[in-house]
Amino acid sequence: MGIHTNFSRNYAYVLVAALAAPAAALAQTEITLPVLVPVTGFLSLEGTSQRNGALLAIKNAPPGIKINSSVTDTGASPEGATTALERALSRGKPVAIAASMLGTQMLAMMPIALENKIPLTTVSGTADITEKQNPYVFRFFPGDAVAKAAHVRYVTEELKKKRVALVYQTTAYGQGGRAQIIEQLKKLGLTPVMEEALDVSVKDMSAVIGKVQASNPDVVMIHLHGGPSALFLKQAAAAKLNLPVVAGSGMSQPSTAALLEPAELKGVCAETNAAPLAGGSADMSNFLAQYRAEFKTEPDGFAVGQYDATSMVINAALNGAKTPEDMRKALATTSYKGLAMTYKADAKGNMANSAVIICYDDKSRTPKIAKRYD
Amino acid sequence: MLLQISLNALALGAAYGLLALGFVMILNATSAVNFAHGDMVMVGAYLAIALHGVFNIPGALLLPLVMALMALLGFVFSWFAYFPLKDRPPVSVFISTIAIGIVFQNSINAVQGAEPRKGPALLGEGQLALGSLTISEQSLSIIGVALLLIVAQYYLLNRTGIGRKLRATAQDRPMAEALGIRVNRMIALTFAIGSALAGAAGLMLSNTFFTSPTDGSNYILKAYIAVTIGGWGSLPGALCGALIIALFEVVYPSLPVLIPALKEIAPLLFTQTTSTIVLYIGLLCIMFFRPQGLFGEKVQKRV
Amino acid sequence: MSGIAQTINWSKTGIRPLLILCVLLLAIWPFTMTSAYQIRIFTIVGIYALLSLGYQFIFGHVGALALTQGTFFGVGAYVTGILSTRYGWGGEYTLMLSVLIPIALAAMIAAPVLRLDSHYFALATLGIGQVLLLIAVAWQEVTGGSNGLSGIPALKFLGMEASKGYGIMAVVWGFVVAGAFLSWRITRGLYGAALTISRENPIAALAIGIDTAALRYAMFLLSALFAGVAGALYAHTIKVVSVEALEFPIMVACLTITVVGGRTHIAGAILGAILIINLPEWFRAMEKYYLIAYGVALLVMIVVAPLGLIGLLEQLRVKLWPEQPKQLPAASAPVPAPHAEIMTGTHGTPLLEVKDIHKRFGGVRALNGVSFSIAQGEIFGLIGPNGSGKTTMLNIITGIYRAEAGSVFLLGDNISKKPSFQIARSGVARTFQNINLVDDMTVLDNVAVARYGFEDAGLVQAASAGWHDPAWQRARANAMFILQALGVDLVANQMAGGLPYGSKRKVEIARALALEPRLLLLDEPAAGLNEGEQHDLADRLRTFAKNGLSILVIEHNMPFLMPLAQRMACLDHGELIAEGTPLEIRNNPLVIAAYLGAPEESTV
Repeated sequence: MGIHTNFSRNYAYVLVAALAAPAAALAQTEITLPVLVPVTGFLSLEGTSQRNGALLAIKNAPPGIKINSSVTDTGASPEGATTALERALSRGKPVAIAASMLGTQMLAMMPIALENKIPLTTVSGTADITEKQNPYVFRFFPGDAVAKAAHVRYVTEELKKKRVALVYQTTAYGQGGRAQIIEQLKKLGLTPVMEEALDVSVKDMSAVIGKVQASNPDVVMIHLHGGPSALFLKQAAAAKLNLPVVAGSGMSQPSTAALLEPAELKGVCAETNAAPLAGGSADMSNFLAQYRAEFKTEPDGFAVGQYDATSMVINAALNGAKTPEDMRKALATTSYKGLAMTYKADAKGNMANSAVIICYDDKSRTPKIAKRYD
Repeated sequence: MLLQISLNALALGAAYGLLALGFVMILNATSAVNFAHGDMVMVGAYLAIALHGVFNIPGALLLPLVMALMALLGFVFSWFAYFPLKDRPPVSVFISTIAIGIVFQNSINAVQGAEPRKGPALLGEGQLALGSLTISEQSLSIIGVALLLIVAQYYLLNRTGIGRKLRATAQDRPMAEALGIRVNRMIALTFAIGSALAGAAGLMLSNTFFTSPTDGSNYILKAYIAVTIGGWGSLPGALCGALIIALFEVVYPSLPVLIPALKEIAPLLFTQTTSTIVLYIGLLCIMFFRPQGLFGEKVQKRV
Repeated sequence: MSGIAQTINWSKTGIRPLLILCVLLLAIWPFTMTSAYQIRIFTIVGIYALLSLGYQFIFGHVGALALTQGTFFGVGAYVTGILSTRYGWGGEYTLMLSVLIPIALAAMIAAPVLRLDSHYFALATLGIGQVLLLIAVAWQEVTGGSNGLSGIPALKFLGMEASKGYGIMAVVWGFVVAGAFLSWRITRGLYGAALTISRENPIAALAIGIDTAALRYAMFLLSALFAGVAGALYAHTIKVVSVEALEFPIMVACLTITVVGGRTHIAGAILGAILIINLPEWFRAMEKYYLIAYGVALLVMIVVAPLGLIGLLEQLRVKLWPEQPKQLPAASAPVPAPHAEIMTGTHGTPLLEVKDIHKRFGGVRALNGVSFSIAQGEIFGLIGPNGSGKTTMLNIITGIYRAEAGSVFLLGDNISKKPSFQIARSGVARTFQNINLVDDMTVLDNVAVARYGFEDAGLVQAASAGWHDPAWQRARANAMFILQALGVDLVANQMAGGLPYGSKRKVEIARALALEPRLLLLDEPAAGLNEGEQHDLADRLRTFAKNGLSILVIEHNMPFLMPLAQRMACLDHGELIAEGTPLEIRNNPLVIAAYLGAPEESTV
């Protein structure tokens, strides 16, 4: 008894473990999960966020799963995206793909995904991608309809404003967002008092700001990419615009806020899926710390969204979805609690059904969550 | 308000002017369009940002250092992009500069990331009050420094021995060579000066307008247009062209604000998008009716 | 020589053996492809090859840096996209319109744009492209704005559908082959030679009766045609069309492919496309850095082969395995052209009448009321110190400059307002002070191309001629005859650039004679000839004059001119100061004063 019993019991445990180990190894899941995002070209900032989020999720995958992943650049054109997708498909059957958030690239990739029956996970906001009756698209970011509804609701319900000046980008992102904003405003019986579209190359915004001022609005809604958002706010502050500004997701990117002084951020709010910098939960804080350590930069909402998307895929794989068709079913039917929100697919593939509004004060570049819309 | 806008346009035009000046100098010396010139501006901006991270001093003090380093880069650049091809049709230099532009853009993207960055201000970032106007310190500094550089460049080219040699090389290379001028050195020097000016423009633009790796193509387009409007090969023409572009970007779309009647008559004619279209149509008109540009010379071939 | 032997001979010349091998490999390659990815890349290569083939017409053959090729491509893509998604039209219509609309656009902008000089032309075409891009972005109802149009169906033509993958790839490469064939047809013969001289030496081209403007116009439209087809196929391949199709990167890719491959080589378009499209793919393993590698590779390629890779291969061939010179055609006398027979006007009508010509350049008065006339079959000498306006006079007669006042009559016909090339076709030929031959063409070809006006050559003719262009064969045979007549037939196969000065002169005169002129204008023909050659030339000129050719000779060489000319005139500072027989001119004190001493002193 005593030590001998202990010894034999320990020995038994070791034996069992040694026998179980190969069995466990045999049971290990292996999946292929390519990451096809723009890391060069004009959307490379957002694409890199997607890449980082996906890679971090893969790194954080629990044991018991082996993930084959590679990052392929999709460039700036739809042609680059389709080429990247075909290449990924030629290298082994992926169970799902982390796909570019550029609307036109998604639209080009979708028919190929449909043909090959591989689900695409993305953080693209472009409304159209879920309107094509394609069951292989899963959007982990509030689509333009949801996001802009939140955007408009905040302006009209919280800030109680009626005279809207709208400045938007001429890119797909901007035009898509504007279309939704106009529709949402129309539902409330409102039209903007002034609208102007800006190309991404416009640097001096005096003309637009002048037009905004001349139209006498009580709020400014902007739907611009990160850099132009910062330019607008900086020049608006210098021109003493003194109006509340509610912006699109471009403003929520930390790199955008980093360009401005806190004083220039006063009265500025933005719509997004999540605000990692604002913290809010232990998981989010962990994510923030990890992301910073791994990539030496601040995460934005797109990184969070893609992280959640990839985590959901990994989770589904661990729960048995090892083929693309199983994965599609899993994504379409199950729900997943991610960092930003709980994701549940609607009939069209929209997974993210809530948006938040974050607001800056004039003291720091870290925003706080002002309101959540589900 | 007109004054405010004009000041903005002037500051923008001044920065564009430096960029166009560098471009046209290289053009004159080599008959080659340097497609990487816009990317040079971007590199200059990132250089300024990097140096500012090391030495936390105002941009105006960093400027000489940035210009010196950019001059060195321009020198090396000419080695790879121009000299191997100098006796070849100019379009091959077009391609080689496109290639190096791609290398610049993607190197910066890989090393620094794609986020837009803010460069150091020349002096300060505050606003100065002049009566009822508020003028940004940065705009004034840009105008001041640009003027200084333009005058310095004028002095260099027109009042110094080496300037004479540079101009001779640009005007008639075989003749300059026959006169004993070391044309290769002069050309390399031209690339260095042009790149230094580009770098200065980059530093100045990066504070007010931020910078990102993909800015280059936009800047080269502006330089190309400025030089054509002003007259291909004319230095004052390039400056003029740059100013005209800035006016179109800033003043033209503001016209409905300055003259409210315009908003009723033709609201669509003054949007930011239409301003660009009008600029291009104006450019096309200039080329059809006055193909030598504003300051260029009508050249007839000798038969 | 039998047809088979001819074909074998043909396939041994230049780098053709290598090219034939490559074509075979290229044809086999698709069958080795195992993935949709490889097929797609190959399809895209084909589309860009087609785009580049079209670009070679305006950029390579005409030599104009047009930046519209990407725009025409985008317009073709949009036409297909809009018509097939919004209106459901089938391939028969969309393909046709994707070709016609870019051509119409090209026709619209060609007139004002083509007459601009190189960089202005480039910028004008760029500007037009940018405007169209902005319109596409803003006109959301039609183009879908920046989001573009998606769901473009597969190409359906008369009920047959091109399946994705192999189907569309075959269609694309079918068009590439057809395009290459068309390009070869157009550029191989007389029309191709005309394109070459119009590009290398436009003034000389005009002087031999080639309507360079018409050539440029045709080539511009042809490039738009190819671009439109490429754009339409692109839309059917990637199934979306968005503003990226109109953006500058596509133009840059096209330009790069054309320059890297070889601006005028059909194989170059295909090789260039293969390299430029595949390089980024081959470097993909480098993730973020792959485009840096691509940029470096591009730089290396252009430095190593600035004239294109095909050009480099040809140079290597010449260096390593020099080949036998081409066989010369048998000489055959040109059938006299209609205008040579008819002598319109009465016997007394002077062949050339110059009346009161005024011309100034800026503040300088080059010609101040100059009048003279030349009879049929007369040799007329025009002398005067440098800068007196002699060459200017020549340029006005040939229509290169327009006089401010005064007129020029050819056999009573007022030619003052006629375009230069038409004056040449009316029988006025000239040589130049600085010899204006095309250095990179053989002597024979240089002369043969002057027969362009006689052969009713044109785009349609070139495209529909058989394996050999009969017009070109005739032209070369005629040129051989003329070279023999001038005694320079032995150098017929040499490159014109490598000849000694005296021979070049004779070749230039031969070229002028190929126009079967009634009036021959020679600008300092004796310069650079030794005494024996001068006597020879003078003899030949006298023979031509006896046969009815009027000749105007500008000369400084008095021992050459005095015995040759029947009448002479002297210009000084733009004024005609003396006219008469050589003896009268020689003794005229005004003439002596103008020259500051008789130039004959050296021979006294």
